[in-house]
Amino acid sequence: MVKLEGVRRKLGPGVQFHCEDFHASEGVQLALWGPSGCGKSTMLNLISGLLRPDSGVIRIDGKEIQGLKEGQLDEFRAQRVGFVFQTFNLLAPFTALQNVLLGMRFADVLPAKEWKPKATEILERVGLGHRLHAKPATLSVGERQRVAIARALANRPKLIVADEPTGSLDPKTSDAVMDLFLELVREKSLTLLLVTHERSIAERLPDLFDCSRLVEEVAS
Amino acid sequence: MSIWHIAWSYLWNRKLTTAMTIISVGLGVGLISTVETLREETERRFAEEGQAFDLVVGAKGNPLQLVLSTVYFIDTPTGNINWSDYERLLKEEEVKDAFPVSIGDNYAGYRIIGTEAKLFDFPWGSREHSPFELAEGNRFSKPMEAVLGAAAAEGAKLKIGDTFSGAHGLTAGFGAGDHAKTPYTVVGILKRSGTPNDRAIFCDIRSTWMLHAHEDDEADTHEGHNDAAHDPGVTAVLVKLYSPALRFDFKPRVNKTYNAMAAVPVTVIQKLYEQVLGTARMVLMAIGYLVVVISAFSIMIGLYMSILQRKRDLAVMRALGASRGEIFGSVIVEAFWVTVLGLGVGWLFGTVACYVLGAQFAKRVGLYISAVSVTPDLITAYSAVVLVGLVAGILPAWQAYRTDVARDLAEL
Repeated sequence: MVKLEGVRRKLGPGVQFHCEDFHASEGVQLALWGPSGCGKSTMLNLISGLLRPDSGVIRIDGKEIQGLKEGQLDEFRAQRVGFVFQTFNLLAPFTALQNVLLGMRFADVLPAKEWKPKATEILERVGLGHRLHAKPATLSVGERQRVAIARALANRPKLIVADEPTGSLDPKTSDAVMDLFLELVREKSLTLLLVTHERSIAERLPDLFDCSRLVEEVAS
Repeated sequence: MSIWHIAWSYLWNRKLTTAMTIISVGLGVGLISTVETLREETERRFAEEGQAFDLVVGAKGNPLQLVLSTVYFIDTPTGNINWSDYERLLKEEEVKDAFPVSIGDNYAGYRIIGTEAKLFDFPWGSREHSPFELAEGNRFSKPMEAVLGAAAAEGAKLKIGDTFSGAHGLTAGFGAGDHAKTPYTVVGILKRSGTPNDRAIFCDIRSTWMLHAHEDDEADTHEGHNDAAHDPGVTAVLVKLYSPALRFDFKPRVNKTYNAMAAVPVTVIQKLYEQVLGTARMVLMAIGYLVVVISAFSIMIGLYMSILQRKRDLAVMRALGASRGEIFGSVIVEAFWVTVLGLGVGWLFGTVACYVLGAQFAKRVGLYISAVSVTPDLITAYSAVVLVGLVAGILPAWQAYRTDVARDLAEL
């Protein structure tokens, strides 16, 4: 499902990201674990097409993405990848339902007439059926992350990338959100790459990839 | 959820800034709308009134003064000409008809116009209703009978059968009671026509002669009254020719062979607009456009600041699959919304301003003007405003277009 071969990306003067070989099979739930600044978020951005490598090959679902044009990358992200961010990244002017709808509108994977029923269904699934028309500012942090999870899953992507999804939550809320998140991922047999610096969170996933040696010094 | 909805949601999210920008665009548009409408409408209304007669013949002096005083009943007459000139004009082969006008007195500030009853039958061309249509009563048939314009009757609180005495001069407050011994009787009231007639009082021209004769007895004279011994005199003569084309030959002939001056009302008004009001209009229009340009800068700055504040939102949209084109388009649409709403607000401002100024104009001049009229010039101006607004959106849209998704998601 996800394969990196000899991928390099310059991060700054004398520092580069280097992943010689990485492979994650379809349906795997893998924690990318390591300390802050070790390059795990860079790896996630490279896999999701938000960053381009300087060299190497990134293959997602059998397709090399490093050479795709801007528009093709937009399409790839919209159709194949679901994002969950640490700070939720909900769009403030829009309601919970509209945030999910926006993701569906940009991805344009499903027929337009299905957007609203599907968005409502997924929000109900994450327990927010009663908060469809609430704006992010009026939601609790746990509710916001659940909207973000719903938005990531709404387009039925094959790959979910989550960058410290519980980083802004208190331990109790964090546990509840992780429970729901993993349940949904397993229910839909999705591939999950989850970046975390917390060992306890990483250990909740069946597989773990140690990212502590992804950044190396190079002669500038 | 369309790009229009997305753009609108972001504008709504910063209501106050958006409202201020819309109002600033509206002020510029309002000024342009008001100036253009007032110019267009007053010119149209003046021309409409001026077209009724081909020539005005009066005492030598300023043609504009002559036209304004005898056709629009504003300004002071240039003096008097002889009644014999009127009689001579009637015999000219080019003249279809002519109407004497005697001006010099007022009642409560409303000018008393001495003329002949045949003016009530004058065909007013394309006009749907004659400005001499009676609302009640009859036209005057003998001296010291008066027919009042609608505004004059209302303002002076006069009704059929009432009597009043004229006073010297053209404005209220001077010479009150001068003609107290010879009062007028109201015999008719005109329908409101939106013309200078609304503010005038019409009477048989012999009324003014009678008053004049009475004053001659008392060896008194006053402005606007001819004091020739055997010629009662007349302020001006409104002339209808057999064809407007005859104006250009007949006018110089009158100027040459009469002890009087002829003026073509339409030409005089056109000159007034081109030479005097044209400059004022240009200055006001320039101010209007300047306000719009300043507003465009405020659109640009507002949007630019907004883009900086929501870099992360834009990055999230890009991560969700929005193309660069969609991001660029949504910002341009925001600029479009602000501009179009500014146009709407400006149109409203213009309508209110035209209503207020139009009411004042009607009160002072008697000519009614409609609310903001959609003229080709205004359509051009509005299109220019929309274009300026869209151009103002380009820089912020470009900034949004260049969103670096990974950096903006990580940075903030």
